[in-house]
Amino acid sequence: MKTLSLPLALAVAALAGAQGGMPMPPNDLPKWLDANGADHLFYKPAPYNWAIDRIPAFAKDMYATGVGHAMAYEALVRGESPQLETKVYDQIHWVLKHQPTKPVDEGAISPTFQRQYGALEKVFDWAHTLHFQTIDVLAHPGWTDERREQEIEALWKFYTTQPYAITGAPMNMVFLDSFPYSGKFRAQFPKVNGLFWGYHWLQTVNYDMLFRVPVKDQAPQYAVIGERYHDAELYKTDRDFMPMTAELSPRFAKRFPMIANAFDNLHMLHDNVNDILVEPSLNEREKQEQVKIAIYRVLASTHQNEDWEDTEGKENTLHDHRHPMSMPGMGWMKGTDGDLMWMSGMGWMDMSVCAHCQIPFPDGPVWGATVSANGWTMTVRCMMCARDMASETPGKAIIRAATEDPARLLVLISDEEGNWTSNIPGVVFLEKAGDHPECSDWSRAFTSQAAFDKFIAETPELKGTASLSLTEWAQLNNGTPDTFRRIDKPNPYKP
Amino acid sequence: MKILTTILILSTLSFAAIGSAHEADCPYCKIKVVQNTKEQDNEVVLKVGNKRIEYRCLYCVIKDQGRYKGDLVVYAPSEKVGEPVILKRTEGKWTGPKDAVYLNTFKAHKDCAALSRAFTTKEAFAKYAKAHGQTEAKPLTLEQFITAITKPAKAAS
Repeated sequence: MKTLSLPLALAVAALAGAQGGMPMPPNDLPKWLDANGADHLFYKPAPYNWAIDRIPAFAKDMYATGVGHAMAYEALVRGESPQLETKVYDQIHWVLKHQPTKPVDEGAISPTFQRQYGALEKVFDWAHTLHFQTIDVLAHPGWTDERREQEIEALWKFYTTQPYAITGAPMNMVFLDSFPYSGKFRAQFPKVNGLFWGYHWLQTVNYDMLFRVPVKDQAPQYAVIGERYHDAELYKTDRDFMPMTAELSPRFAKRFPMIANAFDNLHMLHDNVNDILVEPSLNEREKQEQVKIAIYRVLASTHQNEDWEDTEGKENTLHDHRHPMSMPGMGWMKGTDGDLMWMSGMGWMDMSVCAHCQIPFPDGPVWGATVSANGWTMTVRCMMCARDMASETPGKAIIRAATEDPARLLVLISDEEGNWTSNIPGVVFLEKAGDHPECSDWSRAFTSQAAFDKFIAETPELKGTASLSLTEWAQLNNGTPDTFRRIDKPNPYKP
Repeated sequence: MKILTTILILSTLSFAAIGSAHEADCPYCKIKVVQNTKEQDNEVVLKVGNKRIEYRCLYCVIKDQGRYKGDLVVYAPSEKVGEPVILKRTEGKWTGPKDAVYLNTFKAHKDCAALSRAFTTKEAFAKYAKAHGQTEAKPLTLEQFITAITKPAKAAS
């Protein structure tokens, strides 16, 4: 890949607000950005389209997110921002409680916005199509995980052939949120911004709900996730930053980093547009120009000839594609240092180690588990860490875990009191307590007693160890791991 | 196997450190839970079913108890490090040690961890109240403490 020259990179950085003023348009803005006329692209024809409807509650919530965005944008361009936190919020909120059962054409809800920002709508629509079709693939029954992943690769290629495609490169989120207008929307309209970021939580949390999870086990998880979405995530006005895909769906983001990055870049574009539309120092023509520049920043075409791994001299510029070392599907965040990053609701976390015991992840197919609770999802290295981390967190929880069979993911769902149900009826557990650095050797899940017995027979040091039923395993608790050390640094968003 | 499992569970519960590995916000007041120090315990731990949840103070536990249907055990830090006052809610009824008394004088939640606490004796209460400028505070029984918190007009932010 061709590397962008350092002088050019610095020039782009200078154009993009480094002088403290509004970003200036680059010389190579694509011509189509001046064309607001309709140019609808549609789904790749496929048997899986609208498989999302197999999870009706989830599908309806997803359809409602588009309506909310469109209502807010229409109000903003019609000069109704004084009603945004009151009348418009109430209208959006009503839709969230009375969701459409089918996708709604956003152009029908926001005709003024469409006329003025038609090019932006093409970018949004195309990325939303990728959102929905990747979900459809994962919710489509009858295919193997391998076949699904092949199709998602094909969808990504299909997506990136169009000029409206957003880059799959990790982007520096601090830079993208550093312009004179940045942060204005969330400061002035915290309730509506809370809804938007709540949408983005839903749009990113769902991928790990679906990824490599048998179709029959997807909907039960949404009972927990949907409840969390409606009870808490939509109404948060104190998030430090927008939700990021790799924070909420770490397994999917690890497998498809370019798609995770594209979604985050899309959501950052949403934030930029929100901020531009409420920036009082800009007139209408200037707002349209700033929106075009914001689109340009995240387009695949803007970054197509770069070597993303060559980051030298590009720090804190438009072409800064650094990422936490172990997370290629996560852009650069405020305060990130190697694998250390601030996670809302969790504090500082080292993403290269178990979130519970801080021991590095084991090599090999038995990768551990993820724990989703209280709005976050974290990766841990063994079943004990997963259970104990969920046990110390209020509310319902979901554990998605490896078993001895790489094709069978264990999905455990707990109620408020830590009582678990399993998607694998015969699941049994190994837990022969030892030191945390070896916890992934002695704390595991098996799909059957026979699989457990086979493992014990092949592992002399565990000879005589009895299996635990789900009920027995759920009652154990090993408390605070002696290997855990708190990372004592201030919140970079609220220093 | 059942006997072995029971022994394993009991031994785990007996020797495991009570508390959370992760710095969490209090589920009720949303302020960071104050960690234990060598001189003083601060973390209030609520045990319900298979969960152990940390709260910032005893007031927060009582206020948030409605979300739990099952019986509760609460480990409330006392004036003695490693010796919490243990409270139980069994079928909705709260009980605790007969000599224990309670302080509840905070005006804003930034102070709740220091001023909503349990003590094993009245003497320990008096010593702590004096050291923290709460000279007018009266030691509350468990019943008085819960009533003060659950009555509708309680003035606390």
